[in-house]
Amino acid sequence: MNKTSDLAVDIRNLSKTYPGRIALNNVTFSVRKGSVHGFLGPNGAGKSTTLKIISGLIPQSSGDYTVSGKVGFLPEHPPLYPNMTVKDYLKFVLDIYAPDKNAISNVLEVMNKTGLSTVSERLIGNLSKGYQQRVGIAQALVHSPEIIILDEPTVGLDPVAMADIRELIKKLKKDHTIIFSTHQLHDVELLCSDITLINHGDIVVSGPLEQILESLKTKLALSAKVEHFSEEERVKLVKKFNLESAESQFDHEKKNYHLKIILKGSAQIKKEIAQYLATDGIGLLEFFEEKLDLEELFVQMIH
Amino acid sequence: MKYLKKINILLKKELKDSFLSPLIYILTGLFCLMIGWLFFNYLLQAKTLTTATMTQAVITPIFGNINFIFVFLCPLLTMRAFAEEKKQSTLDLLLRSELTEFQIIFAKFISNFVLVLFMISFTLIFPIILALSGYSDWGVVGSSYAGVLLSIMAYIAVGLFCSSLTDNQIVASLLTFCLLLGSMLMVISVNATDNYLLALLIQYLTVPFHYEGFVKGLVRSYSLVYFVSYLLFFFILTHKSLQSRKW
Repeated sequence: MNKTSDLAVDIRNLSKTYPGRIALNNVTFSVRKGSVHGFLGPNGAGKSTTLKIISGLIPQSSGDYTVSGKVGFLPEHPPLYPNMTVKDYLKFVLDIYAPDKNAISNVLEVMNKTGLSTVSERLIGNLSKGYQQRVGIAQALVHSPEIIILDEPTVGLDPVAMADIRELIKKLKKDHTIIFSTHQLHDVELLCSDITLINHGDIVVSGPLEQILESLKTKLALSAKVEHFSEEERVKLVKKFNLESAESQFDHEKKNYHLKIILKGSAQIKKEIAQYLATDGIGLLEFFEEKLDLEELFVQMIH
Repeated sequence: MKYLKKINILLKKELKDSFLSPLIYILTGLFCLMIGWLFFNYLLQAKTLTTATMTQAVITPIFGNINFIFVFLCPLLTMRAFAEEKKQSTLDLLLRSELTEFQIIFAKFISNFVLVLFMISFTLIFPIILALSGYSDWGVVGSSYAGVLLSIMAYIAVGLFCSSLTDNQIVASLLTFCLLLGSMLMVISVNATDNYLLALLIQYLTVPFHYEGFVKGLVRSYSLVYFVSYLLFFFILTHKSLQSRKW
């Protein structure tokens, strides 16, 4: 159980309703201080609504949340003034968010951190999308918040710009708690220590990424290559071992079948399945355990 | 003091944006061209009108025209105030900041009013020209300027409200224009009713009725109350409109 003081964000039974639509339904999860928390879910799942509520942009309909510290927020569309220079823009944002702060030193520090020093005097409208996204992140950082919320920071960027933003997030995690929503599961695997998966306004799963992936090993995936396999054998296999699913595909090049087997229970029956497939009628060629990746987790959880 | 300082942060940015944009110079050029040509014609006409004073022949019609031209110009000036912020997603940046909704509205209002002052300042040449020909009724000129500026303040308040309703600048300007023209045409409906009290009430609700007093040199207290109430009413509507983003 987490102590409240260890939590950067604690959300309890948060709901948000719009006329005729429930956007969030009793959402409960927490974000540990100093963690990079991935917020996943398909389009329209309620990610942006949750992030907007935590950042104070919209009120919740019911429920409660506590945020320990200031929040910097980068919405899905970065809030940029195209006719301002990067430096002027960041100074303006600092002025309206923290009117008593020493503007210039903060702005210079954030520009250094986000790699914007070389373009500080350029108009934002003339920058590439990758740099504009950096400016968006810089505006979330400029008033020195403890928590940074990034709503799909890599959306619409080319692979190079995406890698740059990823590096930037890695750099920022030393000093901040970061919550970010994304569709790029690769980003989550590389950056996040914790994840929350949301679908149709409900939390599907939330917790440390390693723990969630480990818990899924109860649904072990096996991969096998066999010489012969028919539909009757597939049905027999599913029935005999009470499998969740078994799929076969014929490899025309190698003239063998590729089986993908998903187990319902524990990994105990792995050996029996291997023995069954090794019989003369089937002829086992290869047999190995597949590691479930985040993409599969995502698909499994959503459906 | 802190309250004003926060307004000043946004005001400075707004003014810088406006004066760096070509729109204000194009509108000022058009305005000067139109109003200069009208002033020249009124001066020529004044020579032939032997019964009318310079105030009746030049001052009253020229200020009437300034007022009418701003019914067209104010929607163009105010259209971007909130519509552009919405389109750029920067309105949320402002709403999450230390600025309150009213501070944002006041900053936008003052910046638009400064733009109007910039445009109107070019008309100061008219009283100077009249002074050279011996004109000296400065009370009427002063109250006419006050009337025009109060009317334009009311137009700006309407423009800000309309701009807060949409993220499309053209829709915002058309809506402002329709509201302003519609409220002016309300005067016509006064003639359609036999009810004296209703006619008086409708008349009181229109901007031109109060403006006319100022241009005659009459600064009535109820007109001042009207303009202040008008501004407050539209500021509150704009405030509600901005808050509705949270609903």
